[in-house]
Amino acid sequence: MDLKVTRVLPRLTWLALAAAVGTVSLGWALPSVAHAEPKAGGTLTAFTSGYRSLNPAVQSGSATGMPGSQIFAGLVQVADNYEIKPYLAKAWVVSDDQLTVTFTLMDAARFHDGVPITSEDVKFSLETTAANHPFGKAMFGAVTGVDTPDASTVVFHLAKPVPGLLLSLQPLLMPIIPKHIYGDGEELKKHPRNMENVVGSGPFKVEENNPAERLVLVRNDDFFIEGRPYLDRIVFPVVKDPLTRVLMLEKGEIDLAPFSGIRPNDAERLESADGVKITTEGYGAIGYIHYLELNLRDKPFSDRKVREALAHAIDTSFLAKVIFGGRTVPGTGPLHTGNPFYSADVPSYAPDMEQAAALLDEAGYPVGANGERFAFTLDVPSWAMQAHVPMAEYIQAKLATLNIKVHLRRAPDFGTWVKRIANWDYEATMNGSFNYPDPTIGVHRHFACDNIRNVIWSNTEAYCDPAMDEMLSSAAVETDFAKRKAIYADIQRKAVEDLVFIDMPQDFTATVYSEKVGNRPNTPFGALAPWHEVYLTD
Amino acid sequence: MLKLTLRKAANAVALLLAVLVLNFTMIHLAPGDPVETLVGEMGGATPALIEDLRRSMGLDQPLYIQIGLYVGNVLRGDFGHSYYYDQPVLTLIGARIGPTLLLVTTALFAATMIGTVLGVFSAQRRSSWLSHLVTVLSLAGFSAPVFWVGIMLILVLSVAFPIFPISGMSDAVGTDGGLLYALDVAHHLALPALTLALIYLAFYSRLARASMLEVLGSDYVRTARAKGLPRRLVVYKHALRNAILPVVTFAGLQFGQVISGAVLVETVFAWPGLGTLAFDSILRRDTPTLLGILFFSALMVVVMNVLTDLLYRRIDPRIKIR
Repeated sequence: MDLKVTRVLPRLTWLALAAAVGTVSLGWALPSVAHAEPKAGGTLTAFTSGYRSLNPAVQSGSATGMPGSQIFAGLVQVADNYEIKPYLAKAWVVSDDQLTVTFTLMDAARFHDGVPITSEDVKFSLETTAANHPFGKAMFGAVTGVDTPDASTVVFHLAKPVPGLLLSLQPLLMPIIPKHIYGDGEELKKHPRNMENVVGSGPFKVEENNPAERLVLVRNDDFFIEGRPYLDRIVFPVVKDPLTRVLMLEKGEIDLAPFSGIRPNDAERLESADGVKITTEGYGAIGYIHYLELNLRDKPFSDRKVREALAHAIDTSFLAKVIFGGRTVPGTGPLHTGNPFYSADVPSYAPDMEQAAALLDEAGYPVGANGERFAFTLDVPSWAMQAHVPMAEYIQAKLATLNIKVHLRRAPDFGTWVKRIANWDYEATMNGSFNYPDPTIGVHRHFACDNIRNVIWSNTEAYCDPAMDEMLSSAAVETDFAKRKAIYADIQRKAVEDLVFIDMPQDFTATVYSEKVGNRPNTPFGALAPWHEVYLTD
Repeated sequence: MLKLTLRKAANAVALLLAVLVLNFTMIHLAPGDPVETLVGEMGGATPALIEDLRRSMGLDQPLYIQIGLYVGNVLRGDFGHSYYYDQPVLTLIGARIGPTLLLVTTALFAATMIGTVLGVFSAQRRSSWLSHLVTVLSLAGFSAPVFWVGIMLILVLSVAFPIFPISGMSDAVGTDGGLLYALDVAHHLALPALTLALIYLAFYSRLARASMLEVLGSDYVRTARAKGLPRRLVVYKHALRNAILPVVTFAGLQFGQVISGAVLVETVFAWPGLGTLAFDSILRRDTPTLLGILFFSALMVVVMNVLTDLLYRRIDPRIKIR
């Protein structure tokens, strides 16, 4: 017998795929900011740092995802607190064995060129995303087949229960793209329609696409949700310079800046500007963490005692305070504090230089005749330099007091760093990664034995423990949220016990917005969500 | 004359070919792997896809074959495909060369004109406080980092006194052609052009001052004065025409440098030109795009040099006679 659950799912029940059907209620809002009656019309400005594709099915990242979530619809939407809401799918039913999910599509939904959106498009979109998106395999690898019994019904068949499946069906991760355009046999990653004459399924259409200057989206009058979107137009001017961005925000030239890229020391200045607000709410599903990654293949870092010594030597609270102005918290393991599976029940390594020195002595690294215990090279990537450079310099200075010589090697560009790390040609590196909506996507990759690969942000450090592998496998298919959370608590404890990474502070990710923005999305992806409910008060 | 022109044209082509080969070699010998950069931007890829990308970009070939293929393609007008934007390099450059030329020529024109006026003024009143002020301001302008000048101008003329827009080339919404659009672009152009001009203004005012001082002390100026010619006529007709020659020479030679300066100015002001594209291409190891930009920069320098040469002949008839 199929389960039927009503529309507003209790918090996190998506994890159990317990869901649902929903009676269609798309008039709800996602907002965290309450305003008076929503008002139609107006132009919202939200900058971009530049983009190479507008199709989130083949290109990950916020640069594509932010406009992409407006141009394309998804089967579902994710509201605050990870609630899964109907979107293009007005209802869905999950089988008892949780191996089949049947979606019913909205009536009369059309692409921007007027062609009806059918189950065939959904099937095509899933297959495209699975084959081309960097997380395609992680998100949809368990989908063994997709049936399309009629134009408005689509059935996903799964090889095993996939707790995070629904969360992956939002436009950011699986946009519904037109088969009649992208199914022409051209290679999807290089398809010209990813940038030219883009035909989407979402609340806004592309009016002007000039990647050098700006992207302009206009209201899709034929959107499948009556009366939405509220906004007439969204303009994304291309602004790369961080200081220029701050000045534009301060002057009120930008209304909404998800992933604003502002630095903590600019936050204070912006907070004092008239009508400008900053929030770090949301972003739990992004879960941007920083850490010191050590190559565990070789000495000295293959020795846990050495890693523990480093953990005691590095004061993460100090870094959170100094580098991030106290606007973030020290990391306490592989999961971000905003992640629903986060657990604080992990070992801690309080700053203690004496203990660090003792551990190094025990590990067989006493101070040598040259005054050093050992030396190593610490790679510093070119991205996130504002955070990683001071962190690396702090580590260098701090470890010098332990008689460890750290040579900093700053990568001239992203590719150089990627090559070194992906080829395992490093001793230690500053690093950071995203948890992503489900730990199976963003967290498992760092710990699974079968993911020790020559691919960046895989298990490049070469950590392998059968007990960890077993826990990861269990967590991947456990559909009961409480049980799953318990497994992830064990995983976090083990990761911190084994000191796979040395934790650094979590990143400072903020949305800067104008007070006149109503219904500001505040999902686990911050404002990387559809903006059809967003309006301007003046 | 025809022989001379042909020889100059042949030299220019040879020079551009040499630039092409040198740029290609240097960029490919520099550290950094475009495929790894692209893969990182994509969020990761399998080794098979990485190899596939390498093959599709022609990076699996030895360097000398890559150079040969590249030069051959360029001679056929094909500058390759951007690794990052996945578009023909010519399309990318074509869309951005206009804004850069507008910015650079406006800045250079303003710098040479105002710089010359200031230099001449300063040379005539060597010991006046105004002359010293021009000298000090010139040195300050010349010493200040271009991005700092840009940010300061934004803070004063866009934030404190909102006269000019902070960034972009035109208003995001609204004007889409005609006179209104031209005025809108001019409004947006003012600050970036001023920023770029300020750096070179200092240089040209110093150059014009030194040159003017030298000319004012020469025999023929003394003779003109002795003849009783009005001071204005001596300065602006007799002296300035000679004093301006170094300014014109440097303006031509500096065109390439101004394009380099535009990289930072365009980034600060989000000006949609070649500078921002060059900046992104360097960071992303987008070699074909970078090579294309460098080639077009070299082409512009060569063209400007030829134009300078022609202008030179017009200003100084002695060169034409020689």
